[in-house]
Amino acid sequence: MSMFLQACVNGLLMGGFYSLMGMGQNIIFGVMKIVNFCHGEMLMVGMYLTFILYTYLGIDPYLAVPIVAVTMFCLGSVIQHTLITPSLGTKSFTNLLFLTVGLGLLLSNGALVIFGSEYRSIRTAYSQTYIQMGPVTMALPRLISFGVLIVVTIALFAFLKYTTIGKQIRAVSQNPVGAEVVGIDVKKIYILTYGLGVALAGTAGALLTQFYTIFPTAGASFGFRALIVVVVGGLGSIPGAFLAGIFLGLLETMSALFISPSYSDLIVFMTFIVILVVRQTVIARRR
Amino acid sequence: MAESPIIEVKNITKRFKGLTAVKDVSFTVREGGITGMIGPNGAGKSTTFNMICGYYPPTEGRIFYKGQDITDKKAYEYTNMKIARTFQIMKPLKNLSVLDNVVASSYFGHAGAKNVREARERAMEVLQFTGLYEKRHVLSKDMGTPDQKRLEMARALATKPEMLFLDENMAGLNPAETEEAIRLIRRINESGVTILLIEHIMQAVVSLCEEVIVLHHGEKIADGTPQQVMNDPYVMEVYLGTKKEDTHA
Amino acid sequence: MDSKKAVHTYHRNLTIVLGLILLVFILIPTVVKSPYILNIFVLVFYMSTLSMAWNLLGGMTGQNSLGHAAYMGLGAYACCLLVVKTGANPWIAAVFGMVVVGLVAGIVFYPCFILRGPYFTLVSIAFGESIRQVIINSEFFGRASGVGLPFGSDSWLDFRFTSKVPYYYVGLLMMIGVYLVMKKIDRSKMGFALKTIREDEDAAAAIGINPTRYKIMAVVISAMVAGLVGFFYASYIRYIDPELMVQAKSTESVLPAVVGGAAYVEGPIVGGLIMIPLSEYLRANFSSILPGINMLMYAVVLLAVIRFRPTGILGWYMNSRTKNFIDQKVLKKPSLEVLEEAELMEYQKREV
Repeated sequence: MSMFLQACVNGLLMGGFYSLMGMGQNIIFGVMKIVNFCHGEMLMVGMYLTFILYTYLGIDPYLAVPIVAVTMFCLGSVIQHTLITPSLGTKSFTNLLFLTVGLGLLLSNGALVIFGSEYRSIRTAYSQTYIQMGPVTMALPRLISFGVLIVVTIALFAFLKYTTIGKQIRAVSQNPVGAEVVGIDVKKIYILTYGLGVALAGTAGALLTQFYTIFPTAGASFGFRALIVVVVGGLGSIPGAFLAGIFLGLLETMSALFISPSYSDLIVFMTFIVILVVRQTVIARRR
Repeated sequence: MAESPIIEVKNITKRFKGLTAVKDVSFTVREGGITGMIGPNGAGKSTTFNMICGYYPPTEGRIFYKGQDITDKKAYEYTNMKIARTFQIMKPLKNLSVLDNVVASSYFGHAGAKNVREARERAMEVLQFTGLYEKRHVLSKDMGTPDQKRLEMARALATKPEMLFLDENMAGLNPAETEEAIRLIRRINESGVTILLIEHIMQAVVSLCEEVIVLHHGEKIADGTPQQVMNDPYVMEVYLGTKKEDTHA
Repeated sequence: MDSKKAVHTYHRNLTIVLGLILLVFILIPTVVKSPYILNIFVLVFYMSTLSMAWNLLGGMTGQNSLGHAAYMGLGAYACCLLVVKTGANPWIAAVFGMVVVGLVAGIVFYPCFILRGPYFTLVSIAFGESIRQVIINSEFFGRASGVGLPFGSDSWLDFRFTSKVPYYYVGLLMMIGVYLVMKKIDRSKMGFALKTIREDEDAAAAIGINPTRYKIMAVVISAMVAGLVGFFYASYIRYIDPELMVQAKSTESVLPAVVGGAAYVEGPIVGGLIMIPLSEYLRANFSSILPGINMLMYAVVLLAVIRFRPTGILGWYMNSRTKNFIDQKVLKKPSLEVLEEAELMEYQKREV
């Protein structure tokens, strides 16, 4: 029973990251209808940024979060403005897809060239602090990270729901032509959206650093899980992405507990395919 | 009516998530004629059209073609039954030449070409008929709207249909281009193809159609000859009265 | 009569130019003795072939798969296991591998083809990863340590050589063979169906194309070719492991097509001939100091091509002055009208 509870908590804590990644991906997909195949690499960049800030400037990983978020936002905006917006005009889905795939290659191999393939980690004074809550043990950084995740998620909801820019983002995702007609600068929204999505991925990366090793392909599994979250939670739906992320985290730890840790990836992928196909079939039938 | 109808629509209804787009519409299309379907924006014309073309099935009601129930047929089975359609938003194969666009259609449908030669010859024939022959080597994305609309028709004709559905084939054309399009549609009809068309432009409907169906808020409010329909007080009120800017006639 | 002569000259010139290119490739192993250079050519041949397999699905049908390394790996595994477990002849195993991959792809993707757009890409990634996970977790497939083919003396029957030359010729033959098949498909009824589906599935259905049926055909053929490449790879390297099927390899298999020009059957070959030697050069000379530099270069070229030449190198060439010059001065290509006329005359002649 205590194993089960422990697995639940671990799943929940991990699921928070998938949610955050999924929400970033979902905003980008919702607004531009493109899948950001370098989302995981953005998380990796966020991890390395935190690593640099901690190792060379001695900034605590949690204090680094806002710095990383802002830097990543700028990076995302520049990428959107110089690469993605011009290619959106060609309306070639293949090209847009491989543009983000190429960006992912660029980032992960760029990191490989700069930092080498060694595994790096951040060990702060409280990295190894554990908290006992009944039968469940939790590392303090995981708990703090989860707390920050929840705050970021709530802030994101509020931003999209109540601010003017948030409303504009939602308007563009529902109808870009209509949004342009009522005077929304769609290109500006694209830049903001991509920056925001990338910043969320970077934030997730910064929050991961204390209990996850940092290496050039660290983002890959998170990147693909973000896609799963988006698809399972519903394209364009932010609350759906949040729930799907938690579900995915739980599914992983549960399959590791009840079946075998080595099968948990397989089970995640298969579940994804089955959910996707079943749901599309239902939609197709209903039409 | 002496002849039996080629298309018979019986009480079709379409609901999208609670919103009723088309409600209990019935009508018939006479073989060999040109029938028009008009109505203001949002009247359910396109929805009705898409249901008849097999793009999606009606929630209720049946559709018959030459007495055969075709309600559940898939869109790609239609050309085998000698039915073809065009799209309101043109869907040319953008990166292929005009000729290849039509060659592609010639391969499929009930009389699909058996080899390259047959496909090309038929494509040439159709291109000459629709007046696109001179532009056969142009990429279809490089053409203007009137030519793309023609190409839509050419692609539909290359499947050798007996029944042709035209979805707003004159929208966005100037009066001279409209005149030309009307002449082409009449020629297609004279070659023995029954036509059902959706149109906004009254001039086109009046001069082309022998029969007109008027939809409003998803319901059929009138049908008959263009003169009968135009003199119907209710049609005057809901269609002509509220959409004067669309009535070129 | 004059036009007929012009067309004849054009066809003759075209044959000469293509023949010369082919001759150069045939003669390369007689001049180049360095196994390192020959290895690069073999790489070009099989990567271009894999990229052509992708191009049938991605470039021609518009279904962007990111799982081709998995088909290739599956083909390689099917061949190797048959050879290792039953002692079958590798050439028979090749056919077996292709059939297995074709069947698996057909069965897996049949339900997936109700999905359009990005969904197909996502399923192809998940599918590739799933296959890899199954192999890693299964004793039958040799888990993560992989499967080796038996070593022994040179033999055509076992397709086993110490020299790279036989692999060079078989690889070249495979690439040309697959190219001819793809060219045939491109010009056939199926090619038109696939291209129509790429542009618009609704438009395809409206002219009587059953999109699901043609997409299945495309995915099966594409997977079978990838399986063939898997057989070639396994016979060449003589050892395979699940690393063969990682996501990055699938991406690598797409690059030649996108860089060369995904809309053209020749695109993957052109892209492969440019990208792979460049990548190998960087890998050989810099990877000890800067690991990942070759893939970084791939990424930069890919981004530059997409950003500035969205139709790829061939797409750029097709509208360039160079092509005009070559067509007019070297090949003496007559106008399209003249070519068309000649084609129609050809049909009439066949009729009689």
